[in-house]
Amino acid sequence: MTTVLHVTDLTVDFGSATAVDGVGFELAAGDTLGIVGESGSGKSTTALALLRMLPPGGRISAGSVRLAGQDLATLPEEALRALRGRRIAMVFQDPMSSLNPVLTIGRQLDEALRAHGTGLRKAQRHARAAELLDLVGIPDAAGRLRDHPHQFSGGQRQRIMIALALAHDAEVLVADEPTTALDPTVQQQILRLLTRINRETGTALVVISHDLGVITQTCRRLLVMRDGRVVERGATAEVLSNPQHPYTRELLAAVPRLDEPSRAAANSTPGEQPLLTVRGLGKTYGTRRRSVTALHGVDLDLHPGETLGLVGESGSGKSTLARALVGAHAPSAGSIRFRGQELGRRPRREVQLVFQDPYSSLNPRMTAGQIIAEPLIAHGLGDRERRAARVAELLGQVGLDPATAGRHPRAFSGGQRQRLGIARALAPEPSVLICDEPVSALDVSVQAQVIDLLARLQRELGLAILFIAHDLAVVRQVSHRIAVMHGGRIVETGPADRVVTAPEHPYTAELLAAVPRLEPALAGPADSARATALASNRSTA
Amino acid sequence: MRTFLLKRLPSALLVLLLASFAVFLILRLIPGDPATSLAGPDASPETVAAIRSQLGLDQPLFSQYAGWLGRLLSGDIGPSYAIGGQVADLIGDGLGATTQLTLGALLLVVLIALPLAVVGATTRSRPVAAVVQAVTTGVLAVPPFVTGVLLVLVFAVSLGLLPAGGHESLLREPDLAVQYLAMPAVCLALPSAAVLARYLKDGIERALAEDYVRTATALGVSRRRIVWRHALPNALPSAITVLGLQVGQLIAGAVLVERIFAWPGLGQLIEQGVIRRDYPVVQDLLLLVVAVYVTVQLLTDLAYTWLDPRIRWE
Repeated sequence: MTTVLHVTDLTVDFGSATAVDGVGFELAAGDTLGIVGESGSGKSTTALALLRMLPPGGRISAGSVRLAGQDLATLPEEALRALRGRRIAMVFQDPMSSLNPVLTIGRQLDEALRAHGTGLRKAQRHARAAELLDLVGIPDAAGRLRDHPHQFSGGQRQRIMIALALAHDAEVLVADEPTTALDPTVQQQILRLLTRINRETGTALVVISHDLGVITQTCRRLLVMRDGRVVERGATAEVLSNPQHPYTRELLAAVPRLDEPSRAAANSTPGEQPLLTVRGLGKTYGTRRRSVTALHGVDLDLHPGETLGLVGESGSGKSTLARALVGAHAPSAGSIRFRGQELGRRPRREVQLVFQDPYSSLNPRMTAGQIIAEPLIAHGLGDRERRAARVAELLGQVGLDPATAGRHPRAFSGGQRQRLGIARALAPEPSVLICDEPVSALDVSVQAQVIDLLARLQRELGLAILFIAHDLAVVRQVSHRIAVMHGGRIVETGPADRVVTAPEHPYTAELLAAVPRLEPALAGPADSARATALASNRSTA
Repeated sequence: MRTFLLKRLPSALLVLLLASFAVFLILRLIPGDPATSLAGPDASPETVAAIRSQLGLDQPLFSQYAGWLGRLLSGDIGPSYAIGGQVADLIGDGLGATTQLTLGALLLVVLIALPLAVVGATTRSRPVAAVVQAVTTGVLAVPPFVTGVLLVLVFAVSLGLLPAGGHESLLREPDLAVQYLAMPAVCLALPSAAVLARYLKDGIERALAEDYVRTATALGVSRRRIVWRHALPNALPSAITVLGLQVGQLIAGAVLVERIFAWPGLGQLIEQGVIRRDYPVVQDLLLLVVAVYVTVQLLTDLAYTWLDPRIRWE
């Protein structure tokens, strides 16, 4: 097979810091390569460096990226532009922000087509644009060229991103976290689309992801990156079954497996009497004429010391339910009772919320101590001295140094910030913790730590936890019971292991089928892939 | 479009009604009235009272207000008190000149701001960026009466290129009219152009940092097309809002600029009207200005929804 992309000793510096350190690989026509790593590993920087599109401050300080006989690392800007999108194309992570909101999809495809003067006339470009949309599976492709990005769903927007990248039949397609913002079933569709394109058009695929499952499903070979270096490389099946580097082993161990039974029962035993009782909860948004019903008659019981996992896709009503439970907005129908008492509109000290995004949910201008003390002030608990003592106690409880109370959120890592968020929720001594996607923004290794923390807090404080997440493997691991939401309704509730192993509702089965497994699905071409992997092992660090 | 107008028209009409009330009251709060001003300093109280009753100023305020609104709605606005002639004719005489001046200035605002903003947002050269920054700040800091005098000094007195003042109709003598228009329009346009350039520059800079620009770059779209076809359309909606707000500035500035360049527009008329307490002239003129402003705001919002498809569908 002919080599289309040959990366040697690629090194990227930001000032004096080295983000990518001597990365090398070879990519043959039609090949697939995954680059896996956690945040800060340099995988996304590597992807951007392939097209020399580094953010300001970054530069390729050594090495080469050879494509079509030219070195992209040293090519003049105009010559480089002629290659981008034509010989090497890129699909970005966030399809919401990566498409221009004020231009129609037709215009954006047209821009991609005319970027490399292929001599197509307007009508021809229009036809080609419709063909591309059709290729990525957008129904009524020709009719939808006039629509703007906001008229498409998240999954469709990612398809459009892929269509843009395919405009000129590039030899290499680089996909940087192509499914991270998407629901599992949509993720599955996008991964299948990428695989299909790789097989049908022979475009070589480079997939960058933090998710080993995604890489396993799409790539025959993979690189494991850490701190800017490649620590392990090889055929995907080989690396998964027989990891050589300790870091790869660590990474594999931290990935929650869907087939592992729940650990919740071993952690704590739920009480008999429900703590939180939700009956017939409904929530409708909008005016009477144009309304959206986000919740339909939701029934829910949460017992002390119990973790109830809540899964469902975006728009299923999970977050609306969470907000209703903490009293952030009033439900349109039904009741929420705490220990048999109807909860009114006053702030609910007993029910606290942990947010998804540890970056935007902490005020950057407040210190950690002020952030944690805020709910104490809101509920009128303690005086200045007692609050300071409580803050120190809470910081210790979530595994942070009490001496860090004076620091601002930016001084903490993502995982530490989520610990701060948990400490803030624990401050007014709640008995119910609502965790809305508490680990989905975190790396797997950090994710495992935060999950352990929540389990320990439950054991020590007897907390009832509503654990909202889209990752079924994590949910199974931490939950006693799982409730599945779909279209504003709870379609299934049951013991965690039973829901995963013997789902009763077809939608649950559909969700389960969409989870990428760590068993390599690509059995056929594995042998040839291994040969290529061995061939390129020369450049292993 | 129709739903938009149906939704916005009632509030626009309400604004006009409230404005008419405010205009009417404020004029009557200014000391002195048309009767004393008409009768002159030596007139006897009887004469003043006679004029006052002749003009209907002895009637209760509410009936005066109702009478004014009634005349406006019937289309016959009536005579002026002090300046002489019909109000409609007086306004008609100055309207053309002022429209020429403000529209000319508006065009200049866009023509000056757009290139400044694009250059300021996209240049990689530090000196160029610094010059753009200095120009927009400097122009903003100097009031029109100073720029006006400076322009006259340079272009009329020293170089003798342009006439120092006066006016010619665009329809009769186009090239002469443009010569007369040049300095007043530039003088009026500069501060607003500086404001617009700053907003537009910020908008383009913000758009250039967006993910969709990265997408376009990865597709090999040229830098020039990225700026003009991808970033600029995203910066336009908020710039249009600023431009709409600047129209108010242009109308207010016109009064001053017309005075400097002896431009026979409505600015002179309003000045005369206020000095001589000519209630009908000032009331009608101010209400006209409000009406123009309200219309501009409606157009701005309409343009906004047209430029940003996300608003269109919500």
